[in-house]
Amino acid sequence: MSTESPSTIAKVLKPTILILIAIVAISSRLFSIIRFESVIHEFDPWFNYRTTQHLVKNGFYDFWNWFDEKSWYPLGRVVGGTVYPGIMVTSALIHNVLHFFNFPVDIRNVCVFLAPMFSGLTAFSAYLLTKELKDSSAGLLAAAFLGVAPGYISRSVAGSYDNEGIAIFLLVFTFYLWIKAVKTGSAFFGLLTALFYFYMVSAWGGYVFITNLVPLHAFTLLLMGRFSNRLYVSYSTFYAVGTLLSMQIPFVGFQPTRTSEHMAALGVFGLLQLYAFAELIRGYIPPKQFQTLLKGGIAAVAIIAAVGLTILSFSGVIAPFTGRFYSLYDTGYAKIHIPIIASVSEHQPTAWTSFFFDLQMLIFLFPAGVYLCFKELKDEHVFIILYSVFASYFAGVMVRLMLTLTPVVCVSAAIAYSTLLDTYLETSKHVLAVTSPDATAIAAPVDVTPEVKPAGNGAGTGSKKAAAKAAAAAAAAAKTPAKSADTDAKAQAKAAAAASGKKRYPIFNFDSRALVVLQLTWFLFMFAWHCTYVTSGSYSSPSIVLASRQQDGSQMIIDDFREAYYWLRKNTKEDAKVMSWWDYGYQMAGMANVTTLVDNNTWNNTHIATVGKAMSTSEEVSYKVLRQHDVDYVLILFGGVIGYSGDDINKFLWMIRIAEGVYPNDVKEANFFTPRGEYKVDHDATKTMKESLMYKMSYYRFAELYGGGNAVDHVRSARMPAEGPTLSVLEEAYTTENWLVRIYKVKDLDILGRDLKDSTAFDKGKVRKVSSLKRK
Amino acid sequence: MAVISRTLCLTLLLALVALFSASSSSSLSSSFVAHAQPQQDSEALLQKKVSRLEAKASKNKGIIQLDSLAFEDVMAKPRNYSMVVLFTAISPEFNCVPCQNFDPEYKMVAAGWSKLANKSQLFFSVLDFKAGQAIFQKFGMNSAPSVLYFPASTSISHDPSQDRYDFGKSGFQAEPFAEWLQSRSGVKVKVQRPFDFMGLAIKVLGTFTAVFAAAVFAKKGRKIFSSKYFWSTVSLITIFVMISGHMWNQIRQPPYSVPNRDGRSGFIAQGFQNQFGLETQIVAVLYSLLTAATIGLIAVVPRIENPFGQRTAVWVCMGMFTFTFSVLIQIFRIKNPSYPFTLMFR
Repeated sequence: MSTESPSTIAKVLKPTILILIAIVAISSRLFSIIRFESVIHEFDPWFNYRTTQHLVKNGFYDFWNWFDEKSWYPLGRVVGGTVYPGIMVTSALIHNVLHFFNFPVDIRNVCVFLAPMFSGLTAFSAYLLTKELKDSSAGLLAAAFLGVAPGYISRSVAGSYDNEGIAIFLLVFTFYLWIKAVKTGSAFFGLLTALFYFYMVSAWGGYVFITNLVPLHAFTLLLMGRFSNRLYVSYSTFYAVGTLLSMQIPFVGFQPTRTSEHMAALGVFGLLQLYAFAELIRGYIPPKQFQTLLKGGIAAVAIIAAVGLTILSFSGVIAPFTGRFYSLYDTGYAKIHIPIIASVSEHQPTAWTSFFFDLQMLIFLFPAGVYLCFKELKDEHVFIILYSVFASYFAGVMVRLMLTLTPVVCVSAAIAYSTLLDTYLETSKHVLAVTSPDATAIAAPVDVTPEVKPAGNGAGTGSKKAAAKAAAAAAAAAKTPAKSADTDAKAQAKAAAAASGKKRYPIFNFDSRALVVLQLTWFLFMFAWHCTYVTSGSYSSPSIVLASRQQDGSQMIIDDFREAYYWLRKNTKEDAKVMSWWDYGYQMAGMANVTTLVDNNTWNNTHIATVGKAMSTSEEVSYKVLRQHDVDYVLILFGGVIGYSGDDINKFLWMIRIAEGVYPNDVKEANFFTPRGEYKVDHDATKTMKESLMYKMSYYRFAELYGGGNAVDHVRSARMPAEGPTLSVLEEAYTTENWLVRIYKVKDLDILGRDLKDSTAFDKGKVRKVSSLKRK
Repeated sequence: MAVISRTLCLTLLLALVALFSASSSSSLSSSFVAHAQPQQDSEALLQKKVSRLEAKASKNKGIIQLDSLAFEDVMAKPRNYSMVVLFTAISPEFNCVPCQNFDPEYKMVAAGWSKLANKSQLFFSVLDFKAGQAIFQKFGMNSAPSVLYFPASTSISHDPSQDRYDFGKSGFQAEPFAEWLQSRSGVKVKVQRPFDFMGLAIKVLGTFTAVFAAAVFAKKGRKIFSSKYFWSTVSLITIFVMISGHMWNQIRQPPYSVPNRDGRSGFIAQGFQNQFGLETQIVAVLYSLLTAATIGLIAVVPRIENPFGQRTAVWVCMGMFTFTFSVLIQIFRIKNPSYPFTLMFR
């Protein structure tokens, strides 16, 4: 009874803890809902939300064939073929199931709460993954870490209805299934891996990470001489089924057979087949002939592969790396060649502060966990090591990829942390062999056989021969069949022998135990506080509703975006075309229901550059562009009144840069800088700057707000001239309460056929100079 | 951005203005001193000037060294040739690394141009800060290197930003510079990089050494490459380098550290999304100390047989852990002053 009771308690405790972790994970993501309301956040989520609405309303087939003529005017966008439909289908499915059971939940609420719900599942899959690597107590820790780690919360708060919200769950779960498949060698788990891989492909472009990491794992195992039938079965199942399934997503299409990102997976698949074939033949031919055959075979395959690859890539059948992917390798590439990628803030490299901010103490427990993985070094630990190294590189290159690093940091920090607790909470008086439960069985008898010790010490140096000897000795001592051909058993025995080489003692003093355990617990508290602080302070802002503190400490809600979009929705004609910088395209389409020229799906650089040109050139030039594109309204963000730094004047340089890339004759970046090389908006602003449409729209009538004189731009802390810019081709249509959003209507051609500049001047009562008449 | 490093050079540069103002005007007044000439034979004079420039250029592989006086002379109207002027500060006392980096590239393009048939259409010139301070001031140059392009027979532009080569965007390589020049002059300059015999020799030698070493130490090498200690070291170092923000440095090229100013520590950059080279190294060391303490607690402490020794080890490891963690948080608080948590220090 006394021996059974802990396990009974554990049986009850584990699910309870997991459920509690899920509740914590979900509720820590609800700050924004409590503070504001159940609303979709930011930019991309608005597109996902709009398409989900379409899917729910019109059904799957209509969604699949949807041509959206309201975006990228006049080009339009084939939505069904250019989205990762995973998240939309998931929420539509949840919505329909709930409605089937007569729970009349609005689709918006399904979308808003989707990411938090999935974070609970992510925590659970982290538990499963870590359990495969160490034990269930480490699993619980990993689940708790991943549940609240800000690195993951940043993309999965309530309302952040984006692909990453479900993709991280799929990533972790696919990796769990893969490890399970490699461990068991079962085609069933291989198939499950493929199915979840398919789900991942349908949900997020980051699936490429799986497509490369899993083959890399298989390849590394091959190099380590750990080829086994388990590996063969699991990888072949995964690759064959997974690739076929992934090609069903229209956006992916034939990429798995044609682009370089996917070639590694194909190559490893081929290599495994060849290796397995060689292994098969080895059983039927005498060794000497086999050597000759092997050498010839390797040479032939290498030559065929090299020639084939060269021909295929030169003839263009295999595409080179796509730009976004390539910029991960050559970090200077994007800056020069694709400014549109470089302009996105989440594509910037990661400063060390972000790592600490997002992961706090996990970031330095993480290498310790990797070290422990090296100590065990079973197949699954190799995977975690590879994952750690590559994910930390990618996270360093791009802030956004912090998301893929976070799970492995949590898992491996949990391994380190739980090993610490194991060591300092172990109360039994026995000598500890190794922490791994499977190895204990073998290692325990080894400890009491003194003649094994020298061999065991030899194994410590990493020599293979000594290890094999030790393994044999250990196996003999443990009365287990010594001639086991399975490499896995050998590896286990090796680990056991290595561990037995150095004796481990329990922690003798109570104060040492207490010190470590209490300190660690305190750090856990700090971690929890840190996570709450970061989540509440930095990651829970919906960014379409802003909150600021007034001088008396009371909260002020700035709701200008929705005000402007609502105005557009109610006051413009059905098919009004509104031009704005691409950042606001999705929001406008989602909230204002107007036709946009460019949006956050930045697939057409030329079109974006055209908008950039219209913004950065003089009225005469840009009016032509506006007319050509049937633009009715222009929408800009201006933060100068309340000091909102993310406004269009601050983004203006990117517009100029992108426009210059396509129209180098019309737009020149250097002209926007003063001779001293500064970017100025006040008296010192250059002529080109002052004449640009963006500048004029931003500061039109700005000085009037201050009664002439003392007009101060609070973002750039610049004193503005009392005489503001004049507009002749646009007229102000609407400006929101805090001036955050300004909407201008594009004037029609003058009815008398005059120049719009002249007609405006005429309306103001200014008489044209005779000289200008003569010129005409 | 490259602008930052250039501004650094310029801080030095401007500081030395006073130092050189006395000496520069007297030195180097070469054959370009303008002579008073009657108006009517300006055509012939121009012809003469061009041939003089040509001679000057061909002597120095297509590059004309200017000083303040020579600059005014060369720029004087009328002018049937275009000018490219590199404003630079090549002397080692200015410590202008970008200037030194760009110099060979510029020379390469000039050399390529001097091989063309219509080479008198455009001249490459260099104006060093030492020799042409007055011109630097006239153009309001507050950073070097800068390249300005002056098209033929117009007066000197008073707005030099009009045709300035943008180093920040195009970089310091010869090829984009040649492209920029082509867009101005309409003539394609082929950039021919000199064949790098030294580099080739080093590569060949290196390969031979590697192959030789591999042959000799084949057994040992295999041991190393199949050793998990080797791989664990490599992996852990990679991870430490990456999580301490090294890639950010690689991409943004921040200064390694800045000298102390008004008592502020010079090795930690202000601002959350900014960092110095030294700063990331400090952070990497702190991280590795913390990880080392953790590994010590897990792997070293249980191996100690002597209870007293074990206790000491636990206290040392835990002390190191807590102390380093506190230092880390303290550094983080410099970056993010509103961060509310502390450990050992206030």
